[in-house]
Amino acid sequence: MEIAAIQTHGLTRRFGSLTAVEDVTLSVAPGQFFGFLGPNGAGKSTTIKMLTGLLEPTSGTIEILGQAFTAGSLDLKRQIGVVPEGMALLGRLTAPEYLRFVGRMYGLDSVTTNRRTVELLEFMHLADESKKLVTDFSHGMQKKLALAAAVIHGPKVLFLDEPFEGVDAIAAGMLKAMLQGMIGRGATIFLTTHVLEIVERLCSHVAIISQGRLVANGSLEELRVGVASALPGTETGQRLTLEQIFLSIVGADAQEPAQELSWLS
Amino acid sequence: MAVVTEAAGTAALSAHTGPFGALARLQYSALASMRWAMFRNSLRTNQGTMELGARTLSFVLYAIMGLGLGAGLGGGAYAIVANDKLAFLPALFWVVFVLWQILPVSLASFQEQFDMGGLLRFPVSFGSFFLLHLIFGLVDISTILGGLCCLGIWVGITAARPGLSAWAALALLVFAAFNVFLVRAIFAWIDRWLAQRKTREIVGTLFFLLLLSMQFLNPAFGIVKYQNPGGSAAQATRRHRQAAFGTWIANANAVQSWLPPGLAAGAVQRGAERNTGTATGSLGVLGLFVLGAGGVLAARLRAEYRGENLGEAPSRKKAERHSGQWLIDGSGPIAAVMEKELRTLLRALPLLYGLGAPLLMVFVLSGLFHKSTSIGGHPLPMALLISLAYAMVGFTQLFYNNLGVEGAGIQILFLSPTPIRTVVLAKNLFHALLFAIDAALVCVLASLRYGLPTPLALAATVAWLLFALPVHLAVGNIFSLTMPYRINLGRIARQRGSQSSALLSMLIQLGVLGVGAAVFALCSLFDKLWLTIPIFLVLAAGAAFAWMRVLANVDNMANQRRDHLIATLVKTE
Repeated sequence: MEIAAIQTHGLTRRFGSLTAVEDVTLSVAPGQFFGFLGPNGAGKSTTIKMLTGLLEPTSGTIEILGQAFTAGSLDLKRQIGVVPEGMALLGRLTAPEYLRFVGRMYGLDSVTTNRRTVELLEFMHLADESKKLVTDFSHGMQKKLALAAAVIHGPKVLFLDEPFEGVDAIAAGMLKAMLQGMIGRGATIFLTTHVLEIVERLCSHVAIISQGRLVANGSLEELRVGVASALPGTETGQRLTLEQIFLSIVGADAQEPAQELSWLS
Repeated sequence: MAVVTEAAGTAALSAHTGPFGALARLQYSALASMRWAMFRNSLRTNQGTMELGARTLSFVLYAIMGLGLGAGLGGGAYAIVANDKLAFLPALFWVVFVLWQILPVSLASFQEQFDMGGLLRFPVSFGSFFLLHLIFGLVDISTILGGLCCLGIWVGITAARPGLSAWAALALLVFAAFNVFLVRAIFAWIDRWLAQRKTREIVGTLFFLLLLSMQFLNPAFGIVKYQNPGGSAAQATRRHRQAAFGTWIANANAVQSWLPPGLAAGAVQRGAERNTGTATGSLGVLGLFVLGAGGVLAARLRAEYRGENLGEAPSRKKAERHSGQWLIDGSGPIAAVMEKELRTLLRALPLLYGLGAPLLMVFVLSGLFHKSTSIGGHPLPMALLISLAYAMVGFTQLFYNNLGVEGAGIQILFLSPTPIRTVVLAKNLFHALLFAIDAALVCVLASLRYGLPTPLALAATVAWLLFALPVHLAVGNIFSLTMPYRINLGRIARQRGSQSSALLSMLIQLGVLGVGAAVFALCSLFDKLWLTIPIFLVLAAGAAFAWMRVLANVDNMANQRRDHLIATLVKTE
């Protein structure tokens, strides 16, 4: 039996009386590009924070690469890369300084760190900005730098929270190619994004979370078949888009505003 | 693309994950390089250079203060040991203890703090996390001052009796370790309590009750100290009170000898008596206190390390229930800004603490000014002046960094069709109103303590306030636009601040207080206190004019510094 790259059982996180994530059980196979979708406030970022050790689950278990994962699992932490929700950059460093810092924090020796820093900056088209402070970067440049920092140590599992937000089309294409290259070399990617076209193009498997609960989980084809059979008016053989699948699962009500805003011209 | 999956260069480190292992050492080195790079980069801008200048000046000032305190305590220690009055040694240790624990609260907003939470995504062991927390805590002002005080005591003891040098060094080292652990533990827990609304409200209420109770304590001490009736019956009563006070002191001494300052002093005392066993015992109990404080700190840091979330998730039900809350009447932007300021303030204990601290100061000052020999025999004007000046210190962040609480919201101010001048005016009005309430409360408490002020004294103080307030608002507006920094409303400790803004604002406040004190002193000297009123009113007119000129220029200044303001308050730190 193949060991899952990411495995959760009954993952739950409560904040006082609010349950942000409830009883999430999922499995991501090695080498899978996994899309984790949900509306705003559904619990996506909370789940990623728990999976990366930034937030302690209220209950439930997490396994990464077949081993139980907690905040103190240092060897496992060195196998994962993260682009967190707020990117966690240090604004008063330059891009090379930041990458060198991150590389060393993950235990890379200085020769490897320096070599990868140069390669990553060139790959991300940030080499010309190496004198600029990160705080002066545009949002898209900061995203590219955050992604570079997440992969500098060559992680086996990569968690990406909205990595394409604010990134231009050229850079997005380049990043997608890089991520697909990683998948090709056996890495596992756990991606959350609101851009459904990207998920449709990149991900082989998708899970959808709504109000903290996992409401769908499977390959894109499995979801298509499942939704098509349940959705009235769907013609046989019609290929549903991920947007249609998503809206039908998290609530069709969202397609039309409940109330007209008559004062909007 | 040979960049992403290669894991070379890391395998050899995998087994060494302790706080002193190879990986940890590499991480410490990376952090040190990172801090150095951040420091070097901060010098790229004029503001960064100013920050360095301000920091250097602050360091020199605090070093002088620390050396002065250390010399004073050293002199005290020398006198105590040389005269063989070692029973008084605990008093010095208690001074150091109180200084070490109280000072960080007052200085928290003036020190740059490093947020350790950002390290948690890296493979950092708990031991390293704990150690780094302590190391970053070691470079704060209270530790430096406390360390210099301990050094002073050690020099004093050693100079008086060289044979005690080793005992004193050992006791002071363990005592210093206790203080370092305790102050970090206190701040870590305060931050934890402030992070959530329920605990924040409990802490706020307790703090308010503490301030009020201090006001009751002082008259209680005052009655014992100052009542001096005549007659034999009164003398008998006095003797009885003195005996009772002596018993109280003896009991207090017995209790304090089991507490860390008493234990540290006790170890030196027993060492001097060549009672090695008891001295070692005292040090051992002190060591247990160190372990206890370290354990309390470790428990808190362990929770942070495991990924405890200190934020407050919005509760949908609560949001619905609160939707019909009160609103400040008026639909204009000034009312909107004032309402926003009020709501923000009520949810920010660090700011509320600043506003409540002057009430504590009335208690402290009352001890200095009660029946004192203050200038011209008028204790109240001077005491009121200093109490109110201290009240203004509590408003430093509000006056001198009035955009700091906006954070990313600063963009809305620039996007909205409301001129920034209107926003700043609304903030000034709100802060002035708030200060008026705080000042009135300080005056009421001071009056209860010293008796009702004469109309002349009250009028002179009000006239000074009319001068001081516009000065602070005018200079505060300039500082807010030129040296803004983001305020984290959920924290007292680990707050990021601006050294140059803090230092310059303190100098302005000292200047305004100095002008007030000089005018009061001169007029009192010539017994013409009434003259303070016209002098302050003339100064007030000038200050009000300056404030209006600054206000008229706010839009220009804001637009010129728009990028800087947004970059500082919004962008990545």
